[in-house]
Amino acid sequence: MDQVSSGPTPGPRTALSLSWLHPRGLVGLSLVNTFLRIVTLGIYGFWAKTEVRKRLWSGVRLNGEPLVYTGTGKELFIGFLVVFLLFVLPSMLMMAGVSAAFGPESPAFGIVLALFYLAVFFLLGIAVYRATRYRMSRTSWRGIRGSLVGSDMAYAWTSFWTGLLIPLTLGWIMPWRAVKLQKILTDDMRFGSAAFRFEGGSGPLYAAFAVFWIGLIAIFAGTALLVTGGFGLDLSALPQLPGEGEEPTEEQAVAIAMLGLAIFAAFIVGSVGYAVLSAWYSAQQFNHFARSTTLDGLRFEGQATGAGLIWIALSNFFILAAFAIVAGLVVSAIVIGVTHLFVPFDQLEADQATGLVGALAQIGVIIGLACFGVLLPVTQARSTRYLVERLAVSGELDGGAIAQGQDQGIGRGEGLAQALDFDAI
Amino acid sequence: MQSETDKSRQPARFTDGKSAGSVDVGVSLEDRGVAIEFADGRERLIWPYGALGSSEPIGRHAVDALLTYSYQPGATLFVADAAFARALAKRAPQLTSSAQRWRAARPLIWATVGIVVISAAVWASGLSPARTIAGFLPDSARQTLGRQVLDSMTSGRRQCDDPKGVAAVERLRDRLSAGAGGKSFKVVVVDWDLFNAFATPGEQIVLTRGLIEKAKGPDELAGVLAHEMGHGIELHPESGLVRAIGLAAAVELMLGGSGGTLANVGLYLAQMSYSRDAEREADVRALELLKTAEVSPYGLLAFFERVLEIEGKEPGEKGSKIANVFASHPLTEERKAMVEAVKPYSSRPSLEEADWQALRMICGSGTGDGAGGQQGSVPAREL
Repeated sequence: MDQVSSGPTPGPRTALSLSWLHPRGLVGLSLVNTFLRIVTLGIYGFWAKTEVRKRLWSGVRLNGEPLVYTGTGKELFIGFLVVFLLFVLPSMLMMAGVSAAFGPESPAFGIVLALFYLAVFFLLGIAVYRATRYRMSRTSWRGIRGSLVGSDMAYAWTSFWTGLLIPLTLGWIMPWRAVKLQKILTDDMRFGSAAFRFEGGSGPLYAAFAVFWIGLIAIFAGTALLVTGGFGLDLSALPQLPGEGEEPTEEQAVAIAMLGLAIFAAFIVGSVGYAVLSAWYSAQQFNHFARSTTLDGLRFEGQATGAGLIWIALSNFFILAAFAIVAGLVVSAIVIGVTHLFVPFDQLEADQATGLVGALAQIGVIIGLACFGVLLPVTQARSTRYLVERLAVSGELDGGAIAQGQDQGIGRGEGLAQALDFDAI
Repeated sequence: MQSETDKSRQPARFTDGKSAGSVDVGVSLEDRGVAIEFADGRERLIWPYGALGSSEPIGRHAVDALLTYSYQPGATLFVADAAFARALAKRAPQLTSSAQRWRAARPLIWATVGIVVISAAVWASGLSPARTIAGFLPDSARQTLGRQVLDSMTSGRRQCDDPKGVAAVERLRDRLSAGAGGKSFKVVVVDWDLFNAFATPGEQIVLTRGLIEKAKGPDELAGVLAHEMGHGIELHPESGLVRAIGLAAAVELMLGGSGGTLANVGLYLAQMSYSRDAEREADVRALELLKTAEVSPYGLLAFFERVLEIEGKEPGEKGSKIANVFASHPLTEERKAMVEAVKPYSSRPSLEEADWQALRMICGSGTGDGAGGQQGSVPAREL
């Protein structure tokens, strides 16, 4: 088998173009995946996720050639099983055991619980690192694999102690922490034999963070004002609230309603304000990370904006919610129709009919909630498209000089990340 | 050696998997496989169809194909042509989305069918794995569990402790326990105007003040107490806990650890469905206890009729079948038939009048409901 050239041969450096080819047929894929998940009691989910990833990766084009995702559903499944058997199940049993032996309000249980949360916080770092390593090792372009060559413990430890400092520094460590963690990940990343480099500090992020932080304080103060002042309410002057079991007087009822309305309005204003601020800050961070990253002769430039991220998040939410509502209504209509065949509604007493309709409505809500994630592949593709299209690549790469890395990757998937529940794509 | 079939050559990019460089090649579909022709005079390659892989499944929407070959790991062939991808999918059907999905899903679907069949068989044969496991729990564990359930349900509420009332409860309990095969129960009355009774693990039973106030006579109270003791003898509260924990683990496993909402719904359903079979078993036990204690079984019947009354439903009303599908208790008629089938035996009141009056005052007079507190989220047997 020596017909092909052996090993890397330095050649001309060529410019590299990054583009996005939007995958088609994702709605159909989402529906097929959902169906197969249902008839396999959910286990097909690992294979479903893998097929979606293959489609998303393939949408990323470098010089028109796709990124390839080479992971398998089996790897994800085994990874999950290992973590379930070695971590989730023992933790559950240990908690149940300690709780049963000492009681749920005993100091012993409190200590065990606190230690458990600390351990989970540490494992979070391990999970992030390993999930990244798995994805890198299962990503290839022109047959050359990516890899992550460093130590997960080093990353997890940094993530752990800097995380503990967040409350102590009132959040001001966050830009420094994010850059430090991103630098560890980036510097450990390889594409074949070529290394990614992260060059840049957290300084440029602090101006943006100051705006974010002061903005948050302003929102907090503003919503508090809205509750008390905006509606002309003086909490101390509220009429005495009714005791338990007493009927509120009309005056009290109005006051309670007004207070509820004010809190609701404050909640909406606060959430919108927070979403805008954090989207803006995330965009700044994305752009800073991109600007600080190099690979061989390639440089990156991020062009994400807060408005763009908000639009993506809002429109994605709308897509998921619209499908959930339609699915809930359709399933409810079918259930009502079938029930009607067996129990003609006109033979029911009024209150029985109301009870039945109530039960069916609950079914509709549950189905709707369960269907919320069905179109996730569609929304994930939209998010990925946004980020890819907002990432410009400049400089040149000598593809011929990049050899396959020595790292064979790990055999198992990202079970820990999944068990700890933050697996995004 | 060129085949007669599809000779149309397509431009493509070939990489050898050793470096990230790539070269232009021409490809064509031949009988044996995909033929790759190099421009630089290297010998042409044939990749047989059966050993081909593709970076993503080739479906209806494919716009290109990125191929790999089992015997030349790392090498890739990228053909940016939709017609080529479709023609290739016909010759190498293992590359299509449906073939790949089916290959992954088939064993899982069989496993699912197996699980469903086994579960159905277990259910049909009347075996209860949860009950079996519950039977293995040591007494000390059951006591601790029960105490916790009890604490969480009665938190913020007073346990009624009027000495005469407590003595009356204990007399009633001892009389009914005679037929319980040596099991000893702990019965607690809670100052709570809810109309309910619970059995918790470890043979512990909670009665509420609301229940005692609404019972018309000691035999009704004896009936409901015997019913709860029936649940306790049958280990229903323990089985419920085991079932809830098992179900939580199974749901967690099924949803790949990412189904918080559904897991909670499942848990909720598991707690709700103290099955009608379990209620029937508790009734059977209750009737035995009442008979051994020489207490009339009609108190039990009268009590559950009162439950329906208080819930605003007339027993035996037209159309009540539907309403009862959602209720876990057997139909009143069913229970009535069961009680009436009992061979008459001589009975005397479950408590003497003085004891009954003491019991009614067990929480003292003029006491209100305890502060706040919701019903515990731990499984407990209601009524």
